[in-house]
Amino acid sequence: MASIISAGTSAGTAIAISGDTTGNLAFQTQAGANTITVPNATGNVMVSGNMPIFRAIANATQTVSINSTTKATCFGTVQWDTASCWSVANNRYTPNVAGYYQITAAMQWGTGWAIGSDIVYIYIVKNGTYSSSSTATMTSDKYVATQYPSSSVGGLMYCNGTTDYIEVYLEAGGASGTRTTYVDNRYDYFSIAMIRTA
Amino acid sequence: MTLYEKIIAIYPQLNKEDFSPKGNIDLRNDGEGDYIAKWEHPTLARPTQEQLA
Repeated sequence: MASIISAGTSAGTAIAISGDTTGNLAFQTQAGANTITVPNATGNVMVSGNMPIFRAIANATQTVSINSTTKATCFGTVQWDTASCWSVANNRYTPNVAGYYQITAAMQWGTGWAIGSDIVYIYIVKNGTYSSSSTATMTSDKYVATQYPSSSVGGLMYCNGTTDYIEVYLEAGGASGTRTTYVDNRYDYFSIAMIRTA
Repeated sequence: MTLYEKIIAIYPQLNKEDFSPKGNIDLRNDGEGDYIAKWEHPTLARPTQEQLA
């Protein structure tokens, strides 16, 4: 027969289960098997509901001025945003749970580069400050003018769950003019996954 | 003409290595157009709005 233990309906009546004096506390989902041991540490239990996940892919090209780091505004197709933390208006992700987040981003560009000198950059920017970056220099041994250069970046960052926000910036290093990204969902993405709480 | 090109026209001695978050000059665009976010060149003065107009 199933049993349910319920807390009271008013604040301050939460159920508290304590382990022994050595910190041992375990549950068994099946009698005699499948033991879940609760770590003897202070922290929050993480379940899918409080571990934000986000991923977006580009749905349009974006043109940037040469040598000007430009916020990526082309991630218009959101695949997952489990905690509704993505701002379409600001093109930024503001996690609503304090903790450590794995962030990755990548972008592919169109053709028309000066081989041997042009460079593509991608940056993870936290609260307006460059935090992680990656570059790809179009050296002649790796690129020809008809290729589509790309770069990707990753980083592990702490976000406070209230005001910290993450953005992706792009840059094309060259002599003059503008450069335009290329839409290919295999190469254009921005993803954030919570690793653990604070 | 881009902001970078305007600055290069004023200071031809600059090169693109000066323009990056790691360089002396950082041009940025947060969605409202290019602007000078950082100008820390040791000898060249930040261009005025009149020069860039």
